[in-house]
Amino acid sequence: MQQIVGIAVKRRRTLLAGVVLAGTMAFAPTLFAADTSPIKVGWISSLTGPLSSAALAENQGVKFAIDEINKAGGINGRPLELLTRDTGGDPTKAVNFANQLVHSDKVAFIIGPVNSGESLATIPIVAKAGVPNIVIAAVDELTNPVKYPRAFRVINTSEQWIRTANHYALDVLKHRKVAIIGDTTGYGTDSAKKAAKLLEAAGAKPVYSVLVDPNKTSLSDEMEKARAAGADVVMPWSAATGLLARILNTRGDMQWDVPVVGHPSLMALPIRNLLNKPTYWENTYSAGYVSTTYGADGKLPERTQKLMDAIRPSLGGKIEFTFWWVALGYDAVKVIEHAVKKAGSTDPKAIQAALESTRDLKGVYGDYGWGPQDRNGFPDAGMVVNKANTFKEGSFERAPQ
Amino acid sequence: MLTVLVTGLAVGALYAAAALAYNVMYSTSKVLSLTTGHIFMLSGVFGAFFIGELGLPMPVGFVGAIAIGTLFGVVTEFVAIRRVLARSDEHLWLLSTLAVATIVQQSVGLWWGTEPKPFPRLIPQDFSAGIWDQKYWLPIATIAVLVVGLELFQRRTLLGKIFLAVSEDAFAARARGVSVNRVRALSYALAGILGAVAGFAAGQLTFAYFALGLTLTLNGFIALAVGGLGSNLGAVVGGLALGLLTASATYFFGGEYQQTIAVGLLMLLLLVKPEGLFGAKRTRHV
Repeated sequence: MQQIVGIAVKRRRTLLAGVVLAGTMAFAPTLFAADTSPIKVGWISSLTGPLSSAALAENQGVKFAIDEINKAGGINGRPLELLTRDTGGDPTKAVNFANQLVHSDKVAFIIGPVNSGESLATIPIVAKAGVPNIVIAAVDELTNPVKYPRAFRVINTSEQWIRTANHYALDVLKHRKVAIIGDTTGYGTDSAKKAAKLLEAAGAKPVYSVLVDPNKTSLSDEMEKARAAGADVVMPWSAATGLLARILNTRGDMQWDVPVVGHPSLMALPIRNLLNKPTYWENTYSAGYVSTTYGADGKLPERTQKLMDAIRPSLGGKIEFTFWWVALGYDAVKVIEHAVKKAGSTDPKAIQAALESTRDLKGVYGDYGWGPQDRNGFPDAGMVVNKANTFKEGSFERAPQ
Repeated sequence: MLTVLVTGLAVGALYAAAALAYNVMYSTSKVLSLTTGHIFMLSGVFGAFFIGELGLPMPVGFVGAIAIGTLFGVVTEFVAIRRVLARSDEHLWLLSTLAVATIVQQSVGLWWGTEPKPFPRLIPQDFSAGIWDQKYWLPIATIAVLVVGLELFQRRTLLGKIFLAVSEDAFAARARGVSVNRVRALSYALAGILGAVAGFAAGQLTFAYFALGLTLTLNGFIALAVGGLGSNLGAVVGGLALGLLTASATYFFGGEYQQTIAVGLLMLLLLVKPEGLFGAKRTRHV
């Protein structure tokens, strides 16, 4: 009787093992097949609202890179799925979208937001969720390997802009009596203070420094005070094109032939239309990029030209905005492609390790490299000073050396 | 220092015009419409559009800008005021006028762009005129004319007197056969004309900028509160005082303290004289 029971148990075990084996065989193709699910990329942008100019151009680059990668079969066979969220430049909306993207949509990456004010609000949220964040805003406080270990910046820092402009004013133009004009926004205030500090460290304490409302209708007083203080170079730190145009108009109207060196917005196209006379844009220089600067032969760097030629049809044949924004958007996606390929997956830990060990990644906007303690990927060598009034196809001439 | 005075006066004149527009609308509706600054913004943007982009002659552009301002005034009254006042005594107009202002600003931002654009030169003049440049004296002179015109209209014309009657007591005016709704709509149209003329004259100072409305709505209200609600003289004095204060605060202390100092001083004034400089003292019958 015991023997019969033993045989029955043995049979049952064999049967169970058979079922497990059959089940495993049946599901084997699923278990061992390559993952072809889409890689979700959250793109927090400000496509409308007062800060939309840069975002709209960057969006062209982001979309173009996504299409290019997907047409080539995706990353390791996985297509990219772009989830665009328009914040309208509102940090509150940016926070809501960041929460939605990381918690509900479960994106593998976040690009953005575009503006520093919004980024300061979203960075901790994305960091807490452990999602890799490609940072495209310039304020220095946005990266920190301890607080935000998976936030990797592709754009330059705001300090790089300031250092580049300071170097040009002090070492190339040989002017040391600097007047700083910043605006009263968080960015303007921070930049003006930083610029003054760096100049002082270089032994050129500003002779005049002021913060003004970005919508101030007249800069006559400030420019008169700067001249009275003996300034031989004016350095504006503001992204407000209206304010910058008013500085240039005032300088021109008072017939003061002093160079203006500063923020990249000095070469933004909207300024051209706001000037009283086109000549008021002369003797104006701004921090810019090697990637969007014409060489002595009148040609752009090869990678920039290639992207420009490829993307031009989708921009209606004409490039009416600063092209480095497009290149930055394009590179943000290409950095994700590089990270996933190098990591072999979208596992956040592996992505972090992959980017931390990335050196000299060739991009269009710049060549990038990060380290275990370095989250700012854009090199100083990628920066130059441009002549502000030389806009041609979104690129510029180099300032005289 | 002279430029501080001139720029302060020019900007102050614009604030005064905004305060006047508030007053005109308030007189018949007892509503402080948050669309006030947007009339100026629309006039600046459409003036620049008509003359700068469509290439229309300046007088045509001027008339076009006024037409837009007037239309906006009437639409505001119809959409955000009339139905709200008819159905509720609560301050729902705050929400409805804010909604209209937001919609208009966002729409202009989408269509016109969010960067400031140039406003055409209205009178041939070299740019080296300094404080005598038209961008300063044109708004000051225009607003002076508007103030006098408004006073004459309210004191010397029948329609102006009807406005005052509705302002004093809408029920009594209605009892005497005045169509209060129609008078209110007319007052919004008048505020539209006033704001459009001032916005056009100050276009070179402000540029054609979609976000101008909010600034003028706020500063026009401060000017009104200082000068005294309902008083045209108060609106002018309040506006000029605010303009001069902000310009001086920037000159002496820097832009970061501009609003704080200016608004702080005005708050002090209101603590001492809550009805404003020229406002009527409120008495409560017991």
